[in-house]
Amino acid sequence: MIKNRIKMMAVAGAALTFVLTGCSGEQSKKGSEQASAKPKEEQILTVYSAGPDGLAENLEKAFEEKTGKKIEMFGGTTGKILSRLEAEKNNPVADVVVLASAASMDGLKESDQLQAYKAENADKINADWSDKDGYYYGYSASALGIAYNTKNVKDAPKKWSDLAKPEWKDKMNMPDPSLSGSALDFIFGYTGADKTAWKTIESWKKNGLQVNGANKEALESVITGNKDATISGVDYMAYKAKADGEPVEIVYPESGTVVSPRSVGIVKEAKNVEDAKAYVDFLLSDEGQKLVTDAYLLPGNQDIPVNNRVALKDIPQLEVDWKGAEQKQIDILTKFNDMFQ
Amino acid sequence: MIMESRRTFGLLLALVMTFAITPLIAILIYTFVGNGVLDFSQLGRMFASNRLWETLGNSLLLGVFVICGTTLIALPMALIRTKTSLSKYNWLDIVLTIPFMTPPYIGSMGWILFMQANGFLQQMIPGTAWMSESFFSLFGMVMIMSLHLFPFLYLLLRNALLRINGSFIDAALVFGRSPWKNWFKIILPLLTSSYILGILLIFIKTLAEFGTPATFGSRIGFKVFTTEIHSYLSKWPVDIRMATSLSLFLLSVCLIVWYMQNLLGRKYTYGILSGKTPAVRERKDKWQISLISWLFTSIILLLAIGIPYFSIIVTSLQKVRGNGLSAGNFNFDAYREVFTSDSAGFAAFMNSIAFSVITAIATAIIGLCIALYIKKANTKKQRLLDFFSLTPNIIPGIVFVVGLIMFWNAPWLPATIYNTKAMVVVAYCVLFLPYSVQYTKSSLSQLDESIFQSASIFGRNSWHVYRHILIPLLMPGILAGMMMTFIISMRELVAGLLILPPSVDTGATYIYSQFEQGNASLGMAVAVVTVIMTVVFMFLLDWLQRRGERANA
Repeated sequence: MIKNRIKMMAVAGAALTFVLTGCSGEQSKKGSEQASAKPKEEQILTVYSAGPDGLAENLEKAFEEKTGKKIEMFGGTTGKILSRLEAEKNNPVADVVVLASAASMDGLKESDQLQAYKAENADKINADWSDKDGYYYGYSASALGIAYNTKNVKDAPKKWSDLAKPEWKDKMNMPDPSLSGSALDFIFGYTGADKTAWKTIESWKKNGLQVNGANKEALESVITGNKDATISGVDYMAYKAKADGEPVEIVYPESGTVVSPRSVGIVKEAKNVEDAKAYVDFLLSDEGQKLVTDAYLLPGNQDIPVNNRVALKDIPQLEVDWKGAEQKQIDILTKFNDMFQ
Repeated sequence: MIMESRRTFGLLLALVMTFAITPLIAILIYTFVGNGVLDFSQLGRMFASNRLWETLGNSLLLGVFVICGTTLIALPMALIRTKTSLSKYNWLDIVLTIPFMTPPYIGSMGWILFMQANGFLQQMIPGTAWMSESFFSLFGMVMIMSLHLFPFLYLLLRNALLRINGSFIDAALVFGRSPWKNWFKIILPLLTSSYILGILLIFIKTLAEFGTPATFGSRIGFKVFTTEIHSYLSKWPVDIRMATSLSLFLLSVCLIVWYMQNLLGRKYTYGILSGKTPAVRERKDKWQISLISWLFTSIILLLAIGIPYFSIIVTSLQKVRGNGLSAGNFNFDAYREVFTSDSAGFAAFMNSIAFSVITAIATAIIGLCIALYIKKANTKKQRLLDFFSLTPNIIPGIVFVVGLIMFWNAPWLPATIYNTKAMVVVAYCVLFLPYSVQYTKSSLSQLDESIFQSASIFGRNSWHVYRHILIPLLMPGILAGMMMTFIISMRELVAGLLILPPSVDTGATYIYSQFEQGNASLGMAVAVVTVIMTVVFMFLLDWLQRRGERANA
């Protein structure tokens, strides 16, 4: 009987220790948790960001240090963020939204979920990437190219159609446009600007193009040598891997590629508008832009030099109009999915 | 007795309803009510999509195959562990649970990394390309999922077999004709109720599985229902109504399956534990049996744990992923990063532990009350409560979570737990309550009526009966349920991705985000640490349990 007691107390004690360790870590957060749940508290800024994670964290730390304001950040893909915003419609939580898809951001503006703000430094930011009424600003962009494995590939591909050649059979992949906003942007921009685009895509399919996974997964396949190249590879991911010593390189075909802007906007029902404005200003400031270039992205402010990568002016670009793109993208996606069914 | 009063029923029902049923109602409303009016157009949209039937067919097919796969593994394993000389190796049980502890996302990534072109297998043994090709097919997927889910069925069967030891075996030996006849006429039928319960849960878990189809399934172009639903929630364009209507459909399918199980299960439930001679005999096996059992066990361990964990550990140690398995490409950087004091990975891991422990304890208590009330589900009220407490198990976790979000965001609620850590714990408790209910129910169903009868004659009062008779008898089942809940909640991913408050991560979501955007090696390192800690915890719990048993006996 007594041994039974001891056993029970040991278990309870262990459990309690776990709970307390968890709780003590939670205490400081719990306080701010209560704050964000009540509508009247204004000190916390809630940011929903599509990343990249490293950059989002650095921006958060730098902002908190500079202004002393606290940020609560939810990180996820563009799709997940949109889903969460939709679910929270009756009880909005987010103040600032940072998305990786220009079309989706424009869609948010169209459905009246953003508010306009004349940010500082707005004139320095690339106008093609931002909304002329100030609803969102393209604080960064990523260029989409062909990322390939330098160990397996001796002749880098030069044109999009190169990948239909026999030496690439079953050796290339592409992120799934239904999962990857940038892949969808790529298909949208490519087929919009180039009349022969669908034919090329068809030829890729015949050559065994594998379409699956999000951006990182497709790139991982190339890094581990499973595939030789990724079409619509995201540049900053490739550059980061390259800087880590991985055998990967990215090229942009001369016929032009899509540069996909990533923008920031303030939610219409934001509770903490003042800090939200400060955050947008921070992203567009020289300091914020420097952090952007550190993450191997293209900065919205052209004056800031890029970090160890191809600059915007050296990337052959396709003309893409992002206004009203959301609706058109649905049709493109359906056509693409039907083709690859 | 205490658990039979009307008040208890009301209390339990209210509890279960608030937390388990309201999300479902929220989903129903969201699907069918557009702009304040009843609107069935959503159904039309859903059935018009031909992907619906394709993915449904795929999911069902996968479910059936995985049932076969897990039976092939779990049944022999349970037999080996109870009938042969391996029965004294109790640590085997914990080791056999490791495949189930692995977040499915990670497990299938491990297999993919191992088997893919230029993967670890081909790097170690060139010329095995043909194996890769045949592996990346439905067969491979069924294999991965069976190896992942079999511990579930194995534990149920093993517990059932253990309880059959004793007077039934003795009677069979004395009166039975031959060992084979004993097998088919006595032991296997006695196992049936646990088996049917087990395969129901496996079928539904397969239908609800997300991690493996998302990673492996997408490689082989095999789409299932859950990935469909998930994509409507997390890829653009977001279509929550489609997601909710699809989940209603999935729910109905699962309801039908559950109903069939209920019919069958009730027919085949026998009282097994009758309080007489629970003898565990020392066994001396013939060498053939020893050999076969050892061989079988080793192969299963190799496939279920060896291969995926080889990939996982190697990846966590790799410096440059592109260089593969080459000398000098390994270091402990990823682990060092995890254990630095302000590491996000470590904080995420501690969060997971806190959530899981609280969930395990809460569900054990609530589950015990509910199971004691339901007993054999004879009256309508009992069956109602049984059904309601099982619902979280028969719809995909993600759907439930969406319902939770919808409900707790409703404008007419005076206060909400949405966006707090409490919501996460509530979500976990709701999602995993069925496990503790089922485990306790299963133990309870094997208690023979005679125990209740002698208890009511000789017991002092109902409280005394519970404390000194019922609960000690049920304790193995309760503890098994707690361990299972702990393991499952540690690896829960999809719920966390959707409802964690900003700036809070669990182990699983942290690993996931490392794969999506960050450092695969770091993600794998956290996975390894999580599994090791969970195993240690389970060994501890098991050791305490055995000490308690020895003290009692």
